This record gives sequence, C-alpha cells and structure tokens, in this order.
Amino acid sequence: MINMQVNEMPASTYRWLHMNESHLKNDAAVFRKTLEKPSQVPEGVMISYDVEAHVAETVFAQKHEEMLQKEAVRISLPNGDLDRRHQAQVVRTGMGIDVDRLLEEEQVKATVITAKANCKIEEPVVFCDAVKSKEAVLSRQVIVAEENSHLTVVMSYDSPFDAEGFYGISTKLYVEKGADVTLVKVQILGRNTDHFDDIGGVVMDGGHVNLVVLELGAGRAWHGCHINLCGKQATLQDEMGYFCNGNQKLDINYVAEQNGNKTDSKMICRGILADASEKIFRGSLDFRLGSEGSVGDEQEDVLLLSDEVVNRTIPLIFCEEADVDGRHGASIGQLGDEMLFYMLSRGIDREMARKMMILARLQSITRQIPVEALRNRADAYVEQICERG
Amino acid sequence: MAEEMKKQVVEIDQSIYDFKDEESEDLFYREQEGLTKEVVERVSQEKNDPQWMHDFRLKCLEIYHNTEMPDWGPSIEGLDMDRISTYVRSKEEMKSSWDEVPEDIKNTFEKLGIPKAERESLAGVGAQYDSELVYHNVKDEVAAQGVVYSDLESAMHGEYADMIKEHFMKLVPPTDHKFAALHGAVWSGGSFVYVPKGVKVEIPLQSYFRLNAKGAGQFEHTLIIVDEGADLHFIEGCSAPKYNVANLHAGCVELYVGKNARLRYSTIENWSKNMYNLNTKRAVVEENGIMEWVSGSFGSHTSFLYPTTLLKGDYSKMEYTGITFSGKGQNLDTGAKVIHTGVGTTSVINAKSISKDGGNGTYRSAVVIGPKAKKAKASVSCDSLMLDSISRSDTIPGMDIRTNDADIGHEAKIGRISDEAIFYLMSRGIKEEDAKSMIVSGFANPVSKELPLEYAVEMNNLIKLEMNGNM
Repeated sequence: MINMQVNEMPASTYRWLHMNESHLKNDAAVFRKTLEKPSQVPEGVMISYDVEAHVAETVFAQKHEEMLQKEAVRISLPNGDLDRRHQAQVVRTGMGIDVDRLLEEEQVKATVITAKANCKIEEPVVFCDAVKSKEAVLSRQVIVAEENSHLTVVMSYDSPFDAEGFYGISTKLYVEKGADVTLVKVQILGRNTDHFDDIGGVVMDGGHVNLVVLELGAGRAWHGCHINLCGKQATLQDEMGYFCNGNQKLDINYVAEQNGNKTDSKMICRGILADASEKIFRGSLDFRLGSEGSVGDEQEDVLLLSDEVVNRTIPLIFCEEADVDGRHGASIGQLGDEMLFYMLSRGIDREMARKMMILARLQSITRQIPVEALRNRADAYVEQICERG
Repeated sequence: MAEEMKKQVVEIDQSIYDFKDEESEDLFYREQEGLTKEVVERVSQEKNDPQWMHDFRLKCLEIYHNTEMPDWGPSIEGLDMDRISTYVRSKEEMKSSWDEVPEDIKNTFEKLGIPKAERESLAGVGAQYDSELVYHNVKDEVAAQGVVYSDLESAMHGEYADMIKEHFMKLVPPTDHKFAALHGAVWSGGSFVYVPKGVKVEIPLQSYFRLNAKGAGQFEHTLIIVDEGADLHFIEGCSAPKYNVANLHAGCVELYVGKNARLRYSTIENWSKNMYNLNTKRAVVEENGIMEWVSGSFGSHTSFLYPTTLLKGDYSKMEYTGITFSGKGQNLDTGAKVIHTGVGTTSVINAKSISKDGGNGTYRSAVVIGPKAKKAKASVSCDSLMLDSISRSDTIPGMDIRTNDADIGHEAKIGRISDEAIFYLMSRGIKEEDAKSMIVSGFANPVSKELPLEYAVEMNNLIKLEMNGNM
C-alpha cells in the first residue's frame, strides 16, 4: 500500500487553497524494479545495474553535509517553512522524502549512469520502457556527469492507451564542475495508470542541467523536480509540456534552489487542459544567501479548452539575497478572440485552430527530443488525443 | 548638502508616533488580562449589549477556544493572550466636539494631526483611543445628505439596529479563523457608515485608531454599507507607542458595496513594532460595483493582513494597490485575496514590498475564479525590493481557476535597487543614501498617488524615517 505526502511547497499558504502538498495513495504491491536496458551504450558512458541505493548515492554525501551546515546557520526561513521535513534526503527531490522512503521499503536498487570526465558524448543514452497493462514498476537512477562531460539521457515510459497499472521513477543527478546534462523524459502511459516521476539534482561550478519533460498520459500523475544550483555559475534550463484531457489529473512541483553566485535558472511550463482535467503547478525560485548575481525566471502558459477544467497555479519566489534578479509570470486562458479571428479569416476552422494551438505549444517541447522515433511517437500521440476530442 | 539633510531629518518629527500617555486608574478602566467567559461577560455589560450581541460574544469565545492557531504565516509565539487586556477605556464618554475631549487624549490626536485634518479636508472623523471611541463627528452638510457616520454601539441601539444585526460578522464569520472568533468575543469601538442610494460623499471620512495602553488589545469593528449608486472614500489610520511587551490588534472591517456603487478604503498602518496586527478586512461587491483598496503597511512586529473581496455581482470590479515596508524586527505577511463569482468581473492587484535591516516581507495572495465567473479578468503584479542581504522577501501568490472563459495574468519581480539608477542620481550631486531614499519613494509612488495629499505626505515621511533607520 502506497501512502505518501508529496510535492510539498517550500513554504505553506492558506489551507483553504489546498495547494500546500498532495497525497499519493495506491494499493500496488508487487513491483518490477528495473527499466528496460538501453539497446546501446555510447562510448564514454558507464552503466551499472542493481547498485545498492546507499552506494549509488554516496556521490551526494559531501554536498549534502555542506548543505546541512549551511542550513544550520541560516538567518531566516520563509513563513510556514515546510522544507525541514526533507532535510534527511541526501539530495532534495521535488516530490520529497516519502518517495525515498518508499524506494527503501521496497528495496529498489539503482541504475547508475556515469559520463566520464572530459567526454562529450554526442549520442543519447536511451531507456525506452514498454510497460504492460496492470504492471507495477518502481525504479531509481543516479546520473553522474563527471567534470567537463556532456551527456544526454532520454527516458520514455509507454503503455497501451487504456492500460492500468502503477509506474514510479526516481532520477537523481550529480553534475560536476563544467559538466552538461540533458535529461529528457517522455511519459505516455495508459489512462488508468497512476504515475510519479521524481527528480533531484545538485549542480557544481559551471555545470548545466537541461530538462525536457513531456507528461501526456496516465490517469493521475505526480511530477516533482528540485535542482540545487550549488556551484557558482551553475545553470538550469527546464521546459515542461503537458496535455491533460478526460479526467486526467496532473500535480507538479518544481524548485530551483540557487545557492551559488551567478547561477541562472529558467523554468518554462506549457500545457493544455481540456474536458474535466485538473492540474496544479507549483514553481519555486529559491534564492539563498550567497547567490549574489543570480537570475531566475519562471514562466507558465496554460491553454484552457473547456469549462470544466480545474487549473491551479502557485508561482513562488523566496529570497534572502539582495543582489539577485528573480521574476515569474503566468498567463492562463482560452484561445484568444483575436487569434481565432485571424485563423478563421484565413479559412481555418475553429477545430483546426484549436488543434494547431495545441500542437504549437507541445511541439516546442517535442522538437527537443533527440530520438526521432520517440519524437514522432509523442507528436502522433498528441494528434491522436486531439482527434479523440 | 549635509545641512540640507539635517534639516530634512529635523522636519520629520520622530516623536510623532512614539509618545505615551499615562493611564491612571481614576481616569481609565482596564479589564483584567486573559480571555475568560467572565471577561467577555463584563465587556458585554460595559457596552450595554443587546441580548443577541451578548449571546454572540459567548458563542465566539467558544469557537475561539475550539479553533487551532494558523499553521502557515509568521510565528505568533510571542503573543500570550493571558497577558493581554482586551478592554481599556477612558472613563469619559465619547464627545462630538474636540473641546470636550479630555486634555491628554485631545493632545494625542492634535500631535497626530487629526483635528487639523478634520477641519481642512475631511467630511467626518472617528477617533478611537484604546478600546473606545473618544470623538465622533460628521459635518452637517454630509449628514444632511442622509449619510450616517456613527460609532457602532450607538447605531446598534438606534434606528439602524436591524441593519447592523443583519450584517454584523456575516461577511467575516467567527468560524473564519481563530482571531475572527476572538474579535467577535471582545470587539469594542469602531464605526458604522451608511451612504444612501445615489449619494456621493465628496470628501473622505476617516477613522483613526490609537492604542496607548501597554499589553492591551484593540478590536474595533468597522461596518460600511454603500448603497446603490453611492460613492465614498474612507480612510483609516492607526498608530501606537512602542512598549517592550506585546500588544494585539485584531480588528475587523466589513464592507458592502451596492449595485453601481463605489467604495475606496485607504489605510496607512503604522502600529508600533511590538504590535501583533491580525486584522481581517473583507468586502462584497454587487453588480457594477467598484471596490478599491489602498494600503500602506509600515508598522507592527508581526502582521497577517489580506483584504479580501468577493466579486459577487456581474461586472463588479476590485483594485488593490498596496505597499509594505518590513524593517528591523518586523515580519509583515500581507497581500490580497479576490474571489470572482459574477460574470465579467475584473480584479487588479498591484503590490509592492520593501525589506530592509533584517525585515521579513511576504506577499501572499489568492485569486479564485469560480465556474460561473465567465469573462472574468484578473491581473496580479508584485514587485519586491531587497535593500540588503540580511532581510528576506517572499512571494506566494495562489491562483485557482475553474472556467476556461477567463483571462488571468500574473507577474512578479524581485531584486535590489539598480546600480545604474543610484549612479545616475549620484552623478547629479545627490548623496548615495538620499539617492536610495528617492528611488524607494519612487517605487512607492503608485500607492502614494492614490492617497489624498496629506496621507501621501505622511506615507512618504514614513518611508524616509524607515530609510534613515529612525523608526
């Protein structure tokens, strides 16, 4: 029985908004605990399977200790701080400590993907997991990008359209000095599946993380990501796209924690809600003391296509450093009258205009998928959903 | 330049707010500290409550004891209700002429400029000292229009008794939160305003609240009903001297804006830095009505302050313009909430925040668009300035949208005073500290320009005092 409190905001707000956290309950019991292995492993990449979690996560230990020491002397906390509960995580993740505890209880071992120092690996490492109906999966990965390496990891999880099941995945990133990691996640699970995807990472001096995430399937999905830019000039570029329709529910929590000086984070979340779907997006820029010269930008754009949708958004900024530039923006609404008029005046009917706007939003994400077959699959899935109405 | 700066500081009288009047036992009644049924019974008796209000107070006390403290927002651990006296009053009755107000109290309000403001630019004034109003007056020409501006207790016993009973704590029920329940149990003072249909009150009414007593609470209740087509600007000011024990302000403001009516509610909050300001303000707006909030928060040790508007009527509007300045030792958690339920409703929130010298400023808001609020529009803009790295500034804006036929935009920025702006001013011969002060005043300008001139000047003076570290 899974019963977790997940996706907690760094600090709470009015209880009646019901945005502070989410609860994930599922009665899945027997789990497959590995992903399908990549068909090929590029040179410069080493993959170790079935590594004990405490061994796989040793790489995070020193940085975790440093962060705890920094936390102990922190001058102030935000009102209603919720973060302390998760301090025991060796690397903070978006969904929080309950996911780590679940993986521990189920004795899920880790797959460790390491890019060797100074290796610029052009070919992505691709994990494509074809999931059967009624299957329950739990897996964890640790991606280590050694100094000055470049690595792309693509993960996709795909099951038949009406498949039932449970699919949980935890991915942690350790990005050393000057390293560059692109992590692409594409979720196209069955509509009767519960899914969670938890990401956490630490980025050292000059390191860069590029996240591309597409959440298209599953009946209920939770997605959390917490990246700690602890080194100076560490950067995060994060683009997420989603399309929820029917009765789908999507719960998102993104945090860019900026500790190093001159760090830069950019988080973009673009999505479409249709029918009676529901979504909550929590996006936090957290400028800690010492992050002088840092910049953070968080943008959300939501297209609402039906009257029964529920859209909840809470873009947060926490700041204890004066010399930063943080901004966020959110734009939420339906197809604009001007845009519709423009389309209609060019002979494009309302339905086609709707489809074009959906595709345009999502293709800005899908075109970043470096595997052509997967990119085509994602585009085709979106078209399929559009056709189903 | 040095002489000019000295002159500037001397011109701002630093003692204007932080002076204390002694409250001797022969002149003042002070309820025992703590919150018990007996205390509530005595307050009710003091105020000659009608039976329904007496019963209501006791019900509120029960709700208070059964409601938990909020688990979000600033800590209020330093507030011990067992050390707060909930009722302190002068033994003199309320007057309608300043000449009849007891000398010490009158001098207090003279120093604060209230009688002068009344003479020069207000339609009426209510002055509250600790738990009771000591002065209340409305100009004849305004009363002749049918405008009622009265202390709430008198109104409860007069021709508006039924109206008050119908509206009192319906917009802010005691079950809303623990300090709404506390307010319901021990409220005292405050004003009732009724503006009849079609009446435009050309110049503002004002209430001023002064909490002089040490270790005391002020729980005034303001109830304003602006009837169909009417128009009113109401100004609220407050201050207190600073003590080394906690004081509490848990007031309540309920505003009813009728069809096609307009109400502007302006507040300059300058409570002392030992004050816990747990104030609740709420408005409901009918069809085509307009509610405008203008808010400057400079004082208090800890604040929870989120004026809330329910846009119930179709095409009703709300605009909130506010600034919060969190200085040393302050934790000011402020913002606004708006709930759209009517068609074609519009809300605009413009909030600014400045944090300095270890201050903690939080902007917190909620925008809710209900499923029937078609064609609703909401815009939220929040700018925060951090003046040093020992302070903090947080932005926590929630949005809950339940229809696709709505247009919502939100933006927020945080940063510091730009080096280029300071350099520009210094290159024109302005000292660095003056340059920063000017930039901060400019930052606050969208709020100050919404206020009558005297209050804009007061607000700018408060900013200068904060920037000079003299408060």
